[in-house]
Amino acid sequence: MAPYFEFQNAVKLLCGEFSLERISIELEHLGASRPLVLSDAVLNKIGTLEQVTEAMQSEGITAGAAFTDIPVDSSLAVVNKIAAYYREQGCDSIVSVGGGSVIDTAKGVRLVLSQDTDDILSISGVENLTRGKHIPFVVVPTTAGTGSECTGVAVIRNDANGVKMEFLSPFVEPDIAVIDPRMTMGLPPKATASTGMDALVHAIEACTCQQANPLSTAYGTAAIRMIAENVEEATRNGSNKKARFSMALASTMAGIAFSNSMVGAVHAIGHALGGVCHVPHAVAMTILLPHVMRYNLSHCAEAYAALLPWLAGLDTALDTPKEKRAEAAIAFVEELGARLNKICGLPLTLREAGVEKESFAKVAEFAVNDGALIVNPRAASEEQVVEILNAAY
Amino acid sequence: MWADIKILTVSIVLRVVHAALIELRTLDSRVAKEFERFPEGLSYSIRTGFEGPTLHVLWQDGKLKRVENLPSPVCCLRIKSMPLSFQLFTGQMGMAQAYARHAFTMAGEVADVMRLARLVNLVEAYLFPKIMTRRIMTDVPETEVCFLRAYARIAWGFLTCKYKISQ
Repeated sequence: MAPYFEFQNAVKLLCGEFSLERISIELEHLGASRPLVLSDAVLNKIGTLEQVTEAMQSEGITAGAAFTDIPVDSSLAVVNKIAAYYREQGCDSIVSVGGGSVIDTAKGVRLVLSQDTDDILSISGVENLTRGKHIPFVVVPTTAGTGSECTGVAVIRNDANGVKMEFLSPFVEPDIAVIDPRMTMGLPPKATASTGMDALVHAIEACTCQQANPLSTAYGTAAIRMIAENVEEATRNGSNKKARFSMALASTMAGIAFSNSMVGAVHAIGHALGGVCHVPHAVAMTILLPHVMRYNLSHCAEAYAALLPWLAGLDTALDTPKEKRAEAAIAFVEELGARLNKICGLPLTLREAGVEKESFAKVAEFAVNDGALIVNPRAASEEQVVEILNAAY
Repeated sequence: MWADIKILTVSIVLRVVHAALIELRTLDSRVAKEFERFPEGLSYSIRTGFEGPTLHVLWQDGKLKRVENLPSPVCCLRIKSMPLSFQLFTGQMGMAQAYARHAFTMAGEVADVMRLARLVNLVEAYLFPKIMTRRIMTDVPETEVCFLRAYARIAWGFLTCKYKISQ
């Protein structure tokens, strides 16, 4: 066990049916009445955002203003722009409705406002901020993957150099996260599969990286079991409420796990692939996971072996000789990816994701400067990152 | 008394780390490569505990200068307590372990801490015996030259006042 660890989850979770209708009273309890609603154009177009605002309105709170143009790969400039808009509109709280990009942008906006600055870049760092002004903040995730609704980190792209920057602070965590199964019912099969694999990566890396601790591992392993049991069904049959809700909860639990133990090389390389080649985050996670596990195997075979019961079930784990369990855990992840590929065409190689080999050197240079790499169970140089990328091609 | 010894030790090791970085730049190709990529004006402040010893370094004109103070460093690391600083600078805890144990806060960009962490790992690989570095790093970098050469150059540098504070 680690000689020292920290664990924090200060987010109040509203989980299950009619959660959306409880947002208004929670805002009221937080002393807010004029929220800025943040989302993206797609969710606005397909009516998901309207579902949330109507639920809020039905219980007495109307949005003070809305910003629905958050791009897929949001940036520091977008964060600063929205913070200025919040001030212009005289809002007093934030409600964000969306996937990872929307939630992380909202976290950035909240940081800018609470720290009373105009530029998020001026407050970048790790655990360097004081609490600042309290801005009530509610998050409604619309994918089951990022877990961002419960993490103390925001990842936002710096357009000046293409780097995805991490902002780590306990004050990044939202006040309220709303896990309503209605929010993920309309998610297309490929997005369901890739975001589900993203959650699986969070859980596996949280359980195996250098910062893992007993509490984060408890959340991580429980999340792994729920994902392994439900991701295929949620992908195949999107209207299965039970599978959808289980995936949403698993994603949140994986988020709590990795917020307290960090992630590793899958994320470091994935962030770099996103920054350099614009590979969607969840797709990068799916492709890289088995290759990074193979790379790490020499350094954490025991930790991977311990995950087999959670991945494949207790019976399979007991039927597998002890010395082969780590390898079997990796094989399970590969087979799961292959099955999801059959169901919905989920890309399994970098070639399929449209990555050019010429970009590998740049990706490796970015990856070794990513904070997630520092706690990976095995160190990785630029040359070793290129080897992983070649294996994933 | 023991607290004073810890403070003195950390103060000395900080000076040695700065000296080692300067010397390893000419001895180790990986250190040289890291410095080649340093942007002009990159600066680090390392603060230890509550008003403990500090190290302020600035990359300017192709040199890593030690300076008296940096009003607004590009990257500022603050190690949370003196016992943690002592562990970190006496080979009892590596940079990755320090990060994992929330041993420091950092203002600036994470990428700059990663550069520093790689450099500190290389410095430790030369300055500390393998029996220590194996306990604090997942993978200990191989040294490119004998560690005695690094020690000799650092000792000579101190004797000739090579690492004094730049104005």
